[in-house]
Parts: sequence; structure tokens; C-alpha cells
Amino acid sequence: MFFVTYLRRELRRRMRQAIFIALGLALGIGLVVTVTAASAGVRKAQSQVLKSLYGVGTDVTVTGKAPKPPSLASGPPKNSQTFTVGPGGARVCTNGKCHNAAGQTIDNLGSTSYSPISQSEVAAIARLKNVKAVAGGLALSDTSITLPKHFGQAGGSLPTPASFSVQGADTSHASLGPLSAGTITAGRSLRAADANSDVAVIDSGYAKSHKLKVGSTVTVVGHKFAVVGIVEQPQSGSPPQVYVPLARAQALGKALGKSLKGDVNTIYVTATSAANIPAVQREIENLLPSATVTSASSLAKQVTGSLSSTARLANDLGRWLSILVLIAAFTVASLLTMAAVARRVREFGTLKALGWRSRRIVAQVMSESLTVGVIGGAAGVGLGFAGAAIITAVAPKLSATIAGSTGQGVAFAGAAGGGGPQFFSPAVPHTVAVPMSASVTLAALVAAVVLALVGGLLAGSFGSWRIARLRPADALARVA
Amino acid sequence: MYQLTDVNKLYAKGRHTVPAVRDLTLTVEDGQWLAVQGKTGHGKSTLLNLLGGLDRPTSGTIELDGKDLARLNEDRVTRLRAQSIGFIFQTFNLVPTMSAAENVEAALIPLRVGSAERRRQVQAALDSVGLADRARHLPGELSGGQQQRTAIARALVKAPKVLLADEPTGNLDEDTRDEIINLLEKLWRERGLTLVLVTHDSAIAQRAQRVGVMTKGQLKIS
Repeated sequence: MFFVTYLRRELRRRMRQAIFIALGLALGIGLVVTVTAASAGVRKAQSQVLKSLYGVGTDVTVTGKAPKPPSLASGPPKNSQTFTVGPGGARVCTNGKCHNAAGQTIDNLGSTSYSPISQSEVAAIARLKNVKAVAGGLALSDTSITLPKHFGQAGGSLPTPASFSVQGADTSHASLGPLSAGTITAGRSLRAADANSDVAVIDSGYAKSHKLKVGSTVTVVGHKFAVVGIVEQPQSGSPPQVYVPLARAQALGKALGKSLKGDVNTIYVTATSAANIPAVQREIENLLPSATVTSASSLAKQVTGSLSSTARLANDLGRWLSILVLIAAFTVASLLTMAAVARRVREFGTLKALGWRSRRIVAQVMSESLTVGVIGGAAGVGLGFAGAAIITAVAPKLSATIAGSTGQGVAFAGAAGGGGPQFFSPAVPHTVAVPMSASVTLAALVAAVVLALVGGLLAGSFGSWRIARLRPADALARVA
Repeated sequence: MYQLTDVNKLYAKGRHTVPAVRDLTLTVEDGQWLAVQGKTGHGKSTLLNLLGGLDRPTSGTIELDGKDLARLNEDRVTRLRAQSIGFIFQTFNLVPTMSAAENVEAALIPLRVGSAERRRQVQAALDSVGLADRARHLPGELSGGQQQRTAIARALVKAPKVLLADEPTGNLDEDTRDEIINLLEKLWRERGLTLVLVTHDSAIAQRAQRVGVMTKGQLKIS
């Protein structure tokens, strides 16, 4: 009781100094809590982005490398369409056979982002050790263009192609792949029984902009698909717009003139445990050396945009700023405690003369310092919560961009004005907007408590060291 | 009983060593009052610090009831101080944030006396110096004489064998000085204390049983 009374009285005597030290510690700890909360928010946002890109349950994604555009010297690939504009007007040619293209619609379902991978590789991956589940997919883009009748003549120009993304989804693995992260808002998802049916699930944004609903039809390279469901993906970026059964996408899709039957260009893999993801990634890289194998962590490194900048800001600048403020706060607290001890030399000398052991006086000073630290820590937690709330309230949505993630590039060969082939990639970079919400985590609170204690102990220890060395005769002589 | 034999205390001042106490051999019997006079800087306070175990001699022995304060480890000297030696200072040295009662109570903390017993002893000590009604006052709310009375109560609350007083009236006016000295003398007689009192005041020194004068670190008992 005497101990507490002495502590209370001393803190009251030095109230202004105690408040100053506590505020310094509070500022440092509040900053640490805020930065930690912001980092947690950014990590959560990253996780949302990766989830939206990956789908729930996907640990590793395998994609075919982006195909090289055909060179002019080698001529167009077999079965591919080219169109040329010459004195006779616009002409479309397939394997050397040409006809007048004016007024025609050219429709293509393919991918310029990913090369095809044989579907047999899906089974090969499924046999690998530590692989729990595998599903193949085809990320394609339907691009169509209607050439005007006077195209190729004076005044005729190439109109803008219309395009939408098409995802061939493995209907037997609904829990894996691009549909797994979405929420069906109307109708139903694709089922195993739909494997060879002309049915489609469409993205909610696409449905809204094209006024589509369950029961409507969408046309993919001239084939009508009945809309059986509307899906809403977690983020508002550019998810696939039309999901069709994988077999139908394979049947309709082409890669540089070649059918995609028996091919996929994206493979979704689930590992048996999170610890096995790197091993699975390595095994697949060995199995498919020409493919691109990404895990959530490797994909996270490719994320650019404001999300990436914010992550860097929170992780680097925020961390260093917190450390600097903490060092400053700890230093000021230590110096002020030392100064307070210096002013109380006579008091401590007297207590020693009364028979107080050094360690008892040290405990007194340490407890005063710790109390100030704990008060600073509590205030710091409050500041941290306030900082996190302010960030959540004022932070704009963060955008994350991953180049070439969707495989929605479409090759479009042409020779306008006698030029070479042209490639049209409407939506290769995938941009997702995510809300930034900073939430104070338990780890941040633990860090705050630890920092408060460390701050208090550090400040007290310098003063205590001086007290421990203080000889009572010296202390008393100094005032005599 | 104090038995000092060939005590020397040297201080280093820059490159030089200054003797504060030189070749001091002295016996102070139990219950004896020794007054020590001398000019400032001639070693009076150093002698008092050595007697109280607040400092150690450079050479020689300082025995209190057969225990050599120069040889005991710090913990044992501290315990001996807590149990057997009371101090009174010229500047009172009260803890400014503690009330008069708490200042007195501080002397009982190292002795691990229970709180109820502490309160009883504190009350009795303040009664004995006539400050029972000022127990809850802070030092800043007390006069110089009252502060020194509080310091005397603090020194005596643990019923020490020895009382060491360093210019206890140095900061007091004449009336208060007499009041304090009368009180000290009364307590010395009642309790059979061994009292070593450092003073510049010859009138006070003359009331002691023995008077010593410190000159350049050497004590001459008259």
C-alpha cells in the first residue's frame, strides 16, 4: 500500500512530465498500431485480389506461355484467317483461298495471352504428389468485327471490334476454378450434366450492361447459349463475362487457326496443405517447363497499382516511420526519467540512509516508469484505433493490376493498307478495385502492450542504473 | 558502542588526494552524547557518514557493537542502518510528496513491520515530537521546526540505538533551535540513545557529555 501511495504521489508531482512521456509513447505506439492495421488491411485486400483472380481453393495456377505472334516472313498460320486491303477492296484469305470480305462479319474465339496445354497434362498434374485437386479451364475472348461494304475503298476505315471474355469451366470441379469464388445471384451454376450443353453462366456486370437475365441467350462465335445463371465475383475488376462448359469452349475455340479440342490454357491446382504449395509448384514446373506456374505468393509479387504502392507504403515507409518515432519516444522518455532521477538524488540518498535497499528504490522508479508506459500504451491503442478508423473512412479504393492474368487477348490478323498482321488484345491486364479497410488486429494489440512495457522498462532502467550506483554519502553530500 | 581505530578517509580531487579524516581513534560509549564541532570542510560530515555506514573508510575499522562497518557487505550495512541508526539532517530531507506520517512510516518499510503496527508506531512517534495533529500535512505545509520534528520522529520511530544528527538546527531560528535541542536532549535521556551531533553552535555543543573539534580531519576531544 505504501508502495502504491508513493507511486501515485510521485506521478502526481511530475504529472506534466509523465503526460509528456506518455504522449510520446502513445504517439509511437499509436503509429505502430495504425501501420500494423493498415498492413493487415492491405494484406486482406491482396488476399481478396488473389482470391478473385485465383478462385477459392486454388493454390497454384498453370497457364500456357503467351504465344509469339507469327512473323511476316513465315506467312500466316495454317487455317488462320487474314484479310488484306488492295485495289480490289478488302479480301479474307484462309489457306490461300480468298474472297471479298466487305460486309462480312469475322468472329473469333481464342487467346493471345496463353498457349494451349494438352488436357492430358491436367491428369498428369493430378497424379503428382501433394496435389489434392485439379481442374482445367480455357480463358478465351470472343472478338467479332463486321467489315463495312465500302471497306478498303477511299473513306472506308476499320471499325472497332466487339469483344467479350469467355471462360471454359470444368463442370465436374465446381469448387475449383474461376466460378468457385463467385456468388450465384440468380439461376444456378454450371453442373457436371452441362458438360456438352450450350448453357452459360454470365457475370452480373455483363448481364446488367447487356440487359441479360436467366433464360436469355448469349452468342459465342455464332452459337447460342442459354443463360442459366448470373454470377457475382468478389471484386469489381474484369472477371470473365461468360462462363460456358469447358468442352463447348474447346469445341468452339481456336488458337492461331488451330482447334482447341483437347486443350486447356489454365489449370487450377489445390495442394494437400499450404506447406506443400512450393513443392507442388516445383513439381509442376518440372513437368511443364514451358508453362507459367504461379502460386498466390508469386502472383502477389506481380501485383501493381495503388494496392501495391499502398502495401509498399505501409510495409516500408510506415514501418520505418514507426521505428523512428518509437526510438524518439523511448529516448525522450529515458532522458526525462534520467533528469527526474537526477532531481531526486537527495530523496533517494535519504531513503538509503533510512535503510532502503537499492533494489527497492529501483523497483519504485521502474514501477513509476512502467505505469507511464502502460498509460502511454493504452493511449497509443486508442490512437491506433482512431488512426485505423480514419484510414478506413477516408482511404480510396485500391486498384490492383496483374498483367496478362486473364488470357483475354485475341489475335486478329490483318493487312490494312498492305501492312503486316495486327494483333488485338482487348483486356490483357486484369485490374481489380478493392476497398481499403484498416482493422486493428490482436497481434497489433499485443505489440502495443509489449512496446509500452519495453518503453517503460527502457526509460526506467537508465534511471535505475544510476540509482543502483548511487552512494548515499555522495547523494547527501551533493545537497549539503 | 562505537569503536573507531586508525580511521582514514581520503578523497580524490583531480590528481590530488585530500584527507577528510586522519588517523582517528575514538570510542563512543552506549548512551553517550558526543558533540562534534569544527570549521566547514574539516571532516565533520564525513565522520558522521562513516559512523552511519553511508561511506566506507579508506583504512581503519569502525565497529558498532563489534560489527565492523568497513568490512560488512552493502546489504548488511543497509540492514544495520535500517535497524539501529537514525539520521537527522540539516535540510530535514523529507520526501516532499509524502505526508508527515508517511515520511515517518518510510523508516519502517525496510523493517517489514505490518501496516497496522506501522500506523501505531508512526502515531506514537509523531506524538512524542508533538506533531500528532499534523500527521497528514505535506512537508511544504509545515514550518521548519515542524519539519525537523518530523525528521526526528522518522529517525526515532524504529527505536534505534544510535542517533546521528548533522547540524539539526542549522536551518532554524533561535527559538526553534532551542525547542529542537530541548526535544533531542529529552529523547536522548528518555531512550538512552547514543547521540553524535555535529554542530557549529558552541552553546549546543556545551550541552553534550563530550565535545570534539575536527581540524583538518583530526578529532580532538576536550
